[in-house]
This record gives sequence, structure tokens and C-alpha cells, in this order.
Amino acid sequence: MANLELKNVSKVYGSGVSQLTALNKVNFAAHEGETVLIVGPSGSGKTTFLTIAGGLQTPSTGEVLINGSGYSSTNKNEQSALRLNKIGFVLQAYNLVPFLTVAEQFELVDKVKQNNMAAERFEGVLDTLGIKDLLAKYPKELSGGQRQRVAIARALYADPEYILADEPTAALDTNRSLEVMSLFNQLAHKYQKAVIVVTHDQRLEEKADKVYQIIDGQMSLLKDKTE
Amino acid sequence: MFLAIKEIKHEKLRYALITGMIMLVSYLVFILSGLSSGLQTLNSAAIDTWGANAIVLNKDAQLSLPQSVVNTPDVNKATATGGAKLVQFGGLVKDTAGHKESVQVIGIDQKEFIYKGLKIENGTKLTADNQVVVSDNLKVDGFKLGDNIKFANTNITAKIVGFTKNANLNIAPVVYTTIANAQKITQRPGVVNGVVFKDAKPNVSNLHTSKVYAINDFVNALPGNSAQTMTFNFMIGFLMVIILIVITIFLYILTIQKLPNFGVLKAQGVATKYLVKNTLFQSFLIAVIGVGIAVILTTITALILPAQVPIFISASYVAVTAVLIIVMSLLGSLIPIREIVKVDPYTMIGG
Ligand SMILES: Nc1ncnc2c1ncn2[C@@H]1O[C@H](COP(=O)(O)OP(=O)(O)OP(=O)(O)O)[C@@H](O)[C@H]1O
Ligand SMILES: [Mg+2]
Repeated sequence: MANLELKNVSKVYGSGVSQLTALNKVNFAAHEGETVLIVGPSGSGKTTFLTIAGGLQTPSTGEVLINGSGYSSTNKNEQSALRLNKIGFVLQAYNLVPFLTVAEQFELVDKVKQNNMAAERFEGVLDTLGIKDLLAKYPKELSGGQRQRVAIARALYADPEYILADEPTAALDTNRSLEVMSLFNQLAHKYQKAVIVVTHDQRLEEKADKVYQIIDGQMSLLKDKTE
Repeated sequence: MFLAIKEIKHEKLRYALITGMIMLVSYLVFILSGLSSGLQTLNSAAIDTWGANAIVLNKDAQLSLPQSVVNTPDVNKATATGGAKLVQFGGLVKDTAGHKESVQVIGIDQKEFIYKGLKIENGTKLTADNQVVVSDNLKVDGFKLGDNIKFANTNITAKIVGFTKNANLNIAPVVYTTIANAQKITQRPGVVNGVVFKDAKPNVSNLHTSKVYAINDFVNALPGNSAQTMTFNFMIGFLMVIILIVITIFLYILTIQKLPNFGVLKAQGVATKYLVKNTLFQSFLIAVIGVGIAVILTTITALILPAQVPIFISASYVAVTAVLIIVMSLLGSLIPIREIVKVDPYTMIGG
């Protein structure tokens, strides 16, 4: 069973007087088939959490387990391959390559990875995200919200086990935000993905299966529908 | 090479500029090297047509043919083993129509290999003291077959009976005459300036006042020859360095702009190798296209330039230089590639 766990993870930036504990002994688990929301004020450690969970940073102490095995024991190439095959990132910026059209963003995924989402299913994703008509456009021709939706589609296209999204609805209006959240729920429930969404968007809370809160690097479980 | 090609297509102007830059510098390199060997040809083409590989000169002449006097016993020894005598001096010739040209007069012996190997483009070989075979470059100056030319400061005249190709020495056209006639003009009867051999190691020993030199040493010592070659080589070397720097700067700026995207691609699991390969491919592509166009332009230039312009473009030299320029551009992508390898996905994500 696919799951992602953080055990006693701390992250300390800097040293001496400028030392800052961005994550403090965080314990966390996300399983396939559920959507997990992580909320918290700005600077509370959300992005730090997401990048550690996705293997872009190593924790200062503690460990990250993906499907039961330690992430940090693998080498750089293996980590890169793991991210390619298992993790779909939706980041806060620079998700799209500026000189590729929307369609080519997906084509790039095909160039570097096999077994991507089947065409019919992907059509559905494009429909839900409302970006079917944008395929021929370049990122600079899109609005912020459209860009974000394309970034979500790009992450989903690789058909990862985990979806890690950093503020994916920041540029979207309420309706779109809820639709995106429904799409995440559908992916989790129907296709057994584990979706982890970092946000300060309170509107999404009721739609998630689990809600964690981070304040000053301390994580606590707010709500768990699965229990 | 998906990323590389898509980017070039999307950023046509940028890549056209850098390709144009490489094209212009390569063109300059080709033309300069063409001029270099062209001038070199003007300096020593006649010697090449003889097919000589060694030369006997006076020991004290410092490899200068006009300053050398080979004494008679040495000349006899040298000609006995297949050498060809030379009398050489620079002078002025006039025809009856008033055309005037400064030339190099070379006296040769009808029994020896230079005379025998002389290739006539039109007309005939010289057979008497009052006949000359001249460089076809003189045609451009208005000299014709059958013209009577007069050697300046003398009353000696001779008739042009033939033209020959590539007859240049010291950047002047050559006038071939007999040894006797040359000695008459210089008023130095019996004086031979040098003896050349086809054989690189002629079997002459016990020379008195002269010595055997390799023909390359002699050519390199022609007035201005090595200084000129060095100047051109320096310019060409410098241009190579310029290509390297231009490509490095250009690719570096382009890469720095893309770095956040590359960082995110790395976060998404795209292998660094893939990004590096694309960057290498880009610089390879622009170099090949730039150099390719330069080769075409060079060929066109060589075809349309008037005959007086001393340009000689050798295909093998162009090929070697082209490869060198392409290698330079690949080297130029090394610093940008280092940036790509170094970029940490996390630092580019922020937020
Ligand atoms: N590379 C770093 N070096 C030093 N301090 C850092 C670094 N990255 C983050 N921090 C600090 O760690 C804390 C948590 O940062 P983080 O980016 O995780 O916050 P966040 O919850 O994502 O905030 P936001 O909602 O504004 O995106 C902040 O105080 C930030 O200043
Ligand atoms: Mg953040």
C-alpha cells in the first residue's frame, strides 16, 4: 500500500543566532486514496514540509519513508527517478517551460517518462480543469489561474502515486478552487493516489479527507474524516 | 533533443543572432586564412612549381638567394648530381606599348629540371637568350605573347614566347630567361646564385663555400614570409578565442534565464543529463549552421573575387578550421552546463 511518512522530522536553517527551526519534530502520514490538506500562516513551514516530503531537501533530523523505504538512503539519480515516476509536483512558480506550448509541456513528459496517463482519461482531466482550448498557447499567453491549472494537469499527466501541490489554488476563484479540489478527491478516491495539498485557503478544508495545521514548524492533526 | 529544438524555434531572434555571430567570425577566419595562404603563394608559388626540396646557397648568404654567390667548383659538383642552377634578381620590365611592371627575373638552364618541368599555359618554352617565359599575372597588366620587353637600365630586350601559371616570387611575377641572358643583364658573368634539387638530401659533399638547405627553411626565410604567417596565425587564433567567449557568454545568459525552469524540471524528476544533452546539442547545432553558412559564403567569395586578390582557399584547411570552431562552441557550453548541473531544485522553488 502506497504511503508517505515523515517520522520525527525537523528542519533547521542556518546556524548560530540566525538559526531557524522551520519544522519541529513533525510526524505525518498520507496514504493512497486520501487527500490531505496542510494549512498554516505564511512562513510557518509549509513549503519546507512539502519539499522535504517530496525529497527536494533532506531533513536535519528524522526520516522520510516512501512506501516504507527511506528516501535519504538513495543516491541523487535514484531520487530523481523516484520523483519522476512517483511524485507529481505542483509548485508555486516556474512550473511551465516558457518556450513550450501547453500541449508541448505534456509532450515533454512523454520524452522523459513512459506510462503516462491514457489519452481518454487525460481528456477528462483537461475538461475538468477547463484548459482544453489552451493547448496551442504559450505560458506567457495564459492568466495566472490558467497557468496553475496547466501545471496541475502536467503533474497529473505523469500519473504519479503522490501529488504534492504547493498553493495550487492561490490564483483561482472559489468555484475553480473547489473544482480543483474535487478533481484531487476524484484522483484519490477513484485512482488511489495520495494527494497532499499545502494551502492557506480555508475554503478547501471541508473537502479534504485529512487536515493538518502547521504553526511555527509544529504540525498537528486538525481533522480526519477517514477515522 | 526536443527541448533544444523547441526553444530555438520559439526564440528565433536570439538564436539567429548567435548563429549569425558564429557565421561572421567563421567567415572572417576562412577569408583570413585564404589571404594568408594566398599571400604565401605570391611569395613562393614559383618555388612550389619547381618541385624542389633542397637548395645549395652560399654559407654566408643567410638563406637569401639574390645575396648568395655559389662558387664555380661547388656549382659543378651540384649540377653533376641533378641540381638546377638559378640566377635571380628583382628588376623592372617595360614593353613597347609602355606597360611597366616590377618582376623577379630568374635565369634557368635548358638542360636542367626547372626548364624541363616548366609548364607553358600558352605559347612555347624559351629556346634562345632573347626569349622569355613570363608569369600569366602579367597578362592582367597588358603584356601579350610576342611583346618585346626591355629590362630597365639596360639595352637588352627579349620576346615573350610563353606564359606560365603560378610563377610568383617575393610577391612579384617571375620572368624566366636563360642563365647567360640573366648574367648579361646583371653584368656578372659566371655568377650563379643557387642550385636547387628535387632530392631532399642531394648527394653533394665537400662543398667549399656553400651549403645544402631544406627548401622549407629557404621559403620561411623569404623576406616578410614568417612575419606575415605569424600575423595571420595570431589573428586566426584570436578569433577562435573570441568565438569561445561569445558562445560562452551567450549560452550563459540564456541558461541563467532558464535556470528556475530547469530547477523545477529537476524537481519533477527530469534527469540533469537530459538538460545537459539539450544544451550541448543547441550549441552544436548553432555552430554547425553558422560554420556551414560561412563555408558557403567563403566559396562564393572565392568564386567572385577578381583574380588580382591573392586569396587561396584550401578545402582541407577550411574543414579543419570548421571542426575546430565547432569544438570551440561545445567548449563554450561548458560553463553554462556547470550551472545546470549545480542548480538545486529547491533553491529555485522558493515560496
Ligand atoms: N533556504 C532557507 N534558508 C533559511 N531560511 C529559510 C529557507 N527557506 C525557508 N526559510 C524560513 O523557514 C520558514 C518557513 O518557510 P516556508 O517557505 O516553509 O514557509 P511557508 O509556510 O511556505 O510560507 P508561505 O505561505 O509564505 O509560502 C520561514 O521563516 C522562512 O523564512
Ligand atoms: Mg510556501
